[in-house]
Amino acid sequence: MAGLSIRDARKSFGDTEVLKGVSIDVADGEFAVIVGPSGCGKSTLLRAVAGLEDIDGGSISIGERDVTALAPSERGIAMVFQSYALYPHLTVRENMAFALRIAKTDKRAIDEAVRRAAAILNIEELLDRKPAALSGGQRQRVAIGRAIVRAPQLFLFDEPLSNLDADLRVRMRYEFAELHRALGTTTLYVTHDQVEAMTLADRIIVLRDGRIEQVGPPRQLYERPANLFVAQFLGSPRMNILAATATGDGAATLADGQRIALPTLAAPPAAGTPLSVGIRPEDIDVGEAPDALAFTIAFVERLGGLATVHLRRDGLEPLACQLRDDGNLAEGQALMARLPADRLHLFDVQGNSCVRGRAE
Amino acid sequence: MNVRRTAVTLAAALVALLTIAPLLWMLSVSFMARGEAAQFPPPLLPAAPGLDNYRMLFDSFGVGRFLANSLLVSTLATLLALLFTIPAGYAFAKLRFRGRDAIFRLLVAALVVPGQIGMLPLFLELKAIGLVNSYAGALIPWLAGIFGIFLVRQYCLSIPDEMLEAARIDGASEAQILRRIVLPILTPIVITLALFVFLGSWNDFMWPLIILSDQDLYTLPVALAAMSREHVQDNELMMAGSVVTTLPVLILFLALQRFYLSGLLTGSVKG
Repeated sequence: MAGLSIRDARKSFGDTEVLKGVSIDVADGEFAVIVGPSGCGKSTLLRAVAGLEDIDGGSISIGERDVTALAPSERGIAMVFQSYALYPHLTVRENMAFALRIAKTDKRAIDEAVRRAAAILNIEELLDRKPAALSGGQRQRVAIGRAIVRAPQLFLFDEPLSNLDADLRVRMRYEFAELHRALGTTTLYVTHDQVEAMTLADRIIVLRDGRIEQVGPPRQLYERPANLFVAQFLGSPRMNILAATATGDGAATLADGQRIALPTLAAPPAAGTPLSVGIRPEDIDVGEAPDALAFTIAFVERLGGLATVHLRRDGLEPLACQLRDDGNLAEGQALMARLPADRLHLFDVQGNSCVRGRAE
Repeated sequence: MNVRRTAVTLAAALVALLTIAPLLWMLSVSFMARGEAAQFPPPLLPAAPGLDNYRMLFDSFGVGRFLANSLLVSTLATLLALLFTIPAGYAFAKLRFRGRDAIFRLLVAALVVPGQIGMLPLFLELKAIGLVNSYAGALIPWLAGIFGIFLVRQYCLSIPDEMLEAARIDGASEAQILRRIVLPILTPIVITLALFVFLGSWNDFMWPLIILSDQDLYTLPVALAAMSREHVQDNELMMAGSVVTTLPVLILFLALQRFYLSGLLTGSVKG
């Protein structure tokens, strides 16, 4: 078992710089998820750790070992690909045993390792089948089994769930969490799906344009996003963002001239400073209150127990609001709602989060 | 609809009959007595079928030796061609090296040059290195057919990179990846390619004729042509010789036809 340390990794393809100096530390046994929009460099980073891409600058260490110049097979890693990448002409057993056979491991030890991995993943009855005779979920399990058999120091997952249907994805997500608990192997997991990131990670690494935007536990990233990008990337529906101007006395005016109270900030903005005010859909308080604003329901997305209600108010950006659906929500209906000051996220003109003060 | 299908079937049967008729008559004549086929109108079936022509071919003309020569040359040509074309095609499809695509484009461009144009320069080259009148000389044009490389490359393009990367992570060397992962996947196209090369070298007349001067080294087509110069009147004997030439490859083709078709189809429909 070992941690992973990436120092200032850089990589360009031709003139395009894909990784612009990325440094990450993953502790021993940690489940780290790299998340970001497509093209942010997350897969390249994972492939660099695997040794499938050489980096142009920086270094990668696994445990105490600098592996930057080592071949993929010498790094002590195992990787699960999005397409599973099983060998189609080999049975499940042979697929899982392939690496050990190449390493000329003793036959009894191979059988034992395959049997154990198959038991963990519940695929013992599939061992003599070929990949073509397996369902998507079963193939996924075999791909994981192939990784487990090698007893790696580090697991690498490249969007392993994106080829599965929604139902299976939820189940496999749960199994990944279970598996990680059982094996305790350090894991680096790449996904573009923020739900996967939120549910699986001990720590999330948000990547954009080859740079790290924020690193931290899921809860922290959700509640204290460092900037507008992280704020809007994590969470579904996305965080509402409203343009506002600071009044200089602990409040701000919205685009329609409405005054709202702000949370206490470490450095309160001067009057006239433009701000972005963010609020999560579930943080909007519906109901009569002295500081409630009048909205009209523009559209209701019913999700069963919950509903996403899109609110409109003249002169203001549309707001999404998450409510319990009691069946009485109707389009065109008037609704009073307030934006509680302690639930607001404030961002300056550069999109960076304004640091909150103590008096909160 | 049904009428149309019947018409199509009939037309197909007619074309098939026209195609196979000469072959059937060749077989029939080979069992006839000497001169029988020269009658007018020519008989369709032998009056008294016999193996005299075959006996004469093998006993007096030593066709057995030419048959063995042909088998040897075609088998070697096939094995050597596979040995060189498969790794080359794989490399052009999947390995990264400088100038890969430029070299490949150059090779494909060379496909438009007819083989006959290269024969004289090739002959002169082989003469300079002393390979004229040897099987080594006869085999050289088959070593790395551009068409074969092209075929293997196109097929390899449909192998997902991730599978090769998985093997690399599993610790397989490039040679092991080729042998244990790529080759089994390539089976249909390898059989197709092997058939192409075997048929091509078996039927090849021009190059062995040019390069082989010693009669003991003759392949079947060359030997048969040499024979026909003296025995141009012996239709029955010539037909028996043609049967001996055609039959082995026909059987081979029919036996491997299933793989051959799947190879051509999967190669064209990527994925």
